[in-house]
Amino acid sequence: MATLDLHSINKSFGTAKVLHDISLAINDKEFVVFVGPSGCGKSTLLRIIAGLEEATSGQIVIGGQDVSDAHPVERGISMVFQSYALYPHLSVYENIAFPLRVQKLEKTDMDARVQRAAEILQLTDKLQLKPGQLSGGQRQRVAIGRSIVRNPKVFLFDEPLSNLDAALRGDMRVELGQLHRSLEATMVYVTHDQVEAMTMADRIVVLNAGRVEQFGTPMELYHHPQTKFVASFIGQPNMNLIPATVSDVDGTGLKVTLDGGHQMVIPVDTLGVQKGDKLEVGIRPENVTLGEDGISVDISVLERLGGVSIAYGKLAGQTRFCASLPGDVNVKEGAAVTLTMAPEDCHVFDASGQVLRRKSAPALVA
Amino acid sequence: MMDRYTKLQMFGIYAAIMVFLIFILLPFFEMFMASLRPLEHLFRSPYQFWSDDFSFQAYSDMWVTVPLLGRYIMNSIFIASMVTGLTMIFVIPAAYAYARLDFPFKNLTLGVFLGVNMFTGAVLLIPLYRVLRTMGLLNTYWAMIVPGVAFLIPTGIWLLRSYLEKIPRELEEAAYVDGASRMYTLRRVVLPLATPGLIVVGVAVFIGAYAQQFLFAITFNQKRELQPLPAGLFEFIGYQDVTWNQMMAAALVGVLPVMVIFLFLQKYLVAGLTAGAVKE
Repeated sequence: MATLDLHSINKSFGTAKVLHDISLAINDKEFVVFVGPSGCGKSTLLRIIAGLEEATSGQIVIGGQDVSDAHPVERGISMVFQSYALYPHLSVYENIAFPLRVQKLEKTDMDARVQRAAEILQLTDKLQLKPGQLSGGQRQRVAIGRSIVRNPKVFLFDEPLSNLDAALRGDMRVELGQLHRSLEATMVYVTHDQVEAMTMADRIVVLNAGRVEQFGTPMELYHHPQTKFVASFIGQPNMNLIPATVSDVDGTGLKVTLDGGHQMVIPVDTLGVQKGDKLEVGIRPENVTLGEDGISVDISVLERLGGVSIAYGKLAGQTRFCASLPGDVNVKEGAAVTLTMAPEDCHVFDASGQVLRRKSAPALVA
Repeated sequence: MMDRYTKLQMFGIYAAIMVFLIFILLPFFEMFMASLRPLEHLFRSPYQFWSDDFSFQAYSDMWVTVPLLGRYIMNSIFIASMVTGLTMIFVIPAAYAYARLDFPFKNLTLGVFLGVNMFTGAVLLIPLYRVLRTMGLLNTYWAMIVPGVAFLIPTGIWLLRSYLEKIPRELEEAAYVDGASRMYTLRRVVLPLATPGLIVVGVAVFIGAYAQQFLFAITFNQKRELQPLPAGLFEFIGYQDVTWNQMMAAALVGVLPVMVIFLFLQKYLVAGLTAGAVKE
């Protein structure tokens, strides 16, 4: 097992630059998730780490060794593909044994390794079947089996769960988490699904338009998003962003007037902010409650999920707003409600989308 | 699958198929009928569709009239098989390269290959004759095999390339990540998956080779014992008369091996031609 360091990785396809100066240091045995919207370059970055694409410039270091020009096998990586990429004409056994056959491993050794992988993945009774006879989840396990027999230093996963249905995806998330713990391996996992990122990752890399927006633990990203992009990408439903104007700046924080006229003082660093500046105030749907004093939102749709009810509406007739309220809350579609939010729950983003550091935020969960 | 056609439409479709089948198969039927008649009855007037003296006499006489007939048939199969084998040896790596690799002038050369297909061998007979003479290949099997291979490679590449392109790239990437070389991947992953496509291309090339022999045989080969069947059939044309019935019988017997191959491989042909149309 090993560390994985990326130094200033750049990648261009012709004139299109898809990755901008990406540097990351991934620890040994860490589960790191690359997350971002489609086209953000996360898969390209993974393929560069794998050696399937060549970086235009930059360095890849695995376990202290520069492997920028090395073959995937020499890099000590293995990869699980989105489509599983199983060989349909070979049995499950032969699929898992494929990397070992390439290495011309001895029969007994190969047998032992395949059996061990099959045991870990509960495929022992499926070894003689063809991939076509397996369910989606089993195929996924075969693909994982093929990647673990070689004992790689780093596992790479390219959206491995996106072809599964929702229930199976939940199960496989748990299984992959267990696998990570039992193999004690360094894993890099690419997904566009922020739920997968939040639930599985030790640390998350949020990518946007070929740049790293933020690299941190899930709760760090949740409580301390450094940019507006991260704030709105992490968390479900998305964070609300309310246009606001600075009405005063003092030592305790920032006095702002929200769209719609509500005023509040938010405890954030005010360095460089001046009276009259336009900002955006972010508040998560789960941080608002029904109350007397606050913003007035016209509710247009109410989704009752049982435990919670998600209310969608508009603030001051134009800003979309979403609130996560108690399950049996007494709110009607088409009515206006007053929602209260605590100043210390608010995030403030300047015009360039950078966050103003929160002074009072929940302690970070390790 | 649901039957999406009305009765009338089905009738129309079958009627159309019938017309084309008759058009294609009637010559074979006429060949067969001619082969059954005694020679003197062939020119009888008025034409009789049915006569009561049908016999298979011609099928045994033909071996006497043209003693080398068996040899000719074997030559035909041998030449076509050699052409097919050699063509596949060249076509498989080439088609794979065109399907997967990037190299300069890729599209241009593909276009050139298509262009070559538009020439018939006949246009190039004289230059080819000179080439073969220079190489000392005239009057050998090679004189019929080499040009055959050359003319069929482009078709083979075009056919197989489109088949190979349908094999998911991720399979090869997975093999690459697992340390397999290009050749190992080709052998262990790509070709097994492309088997139906290989059979389709192989059959197409074999048929092409069988059909084109005639031209190369009568131009580049003077040796009787090397002639393939289409050229050998000339021997039924004598100084005095043409034994049409035996010629037809010989032609039918000669076509038989191809037909058998066709029937045998039909399921692959259909599978190959419709591959990728449906999600597996």
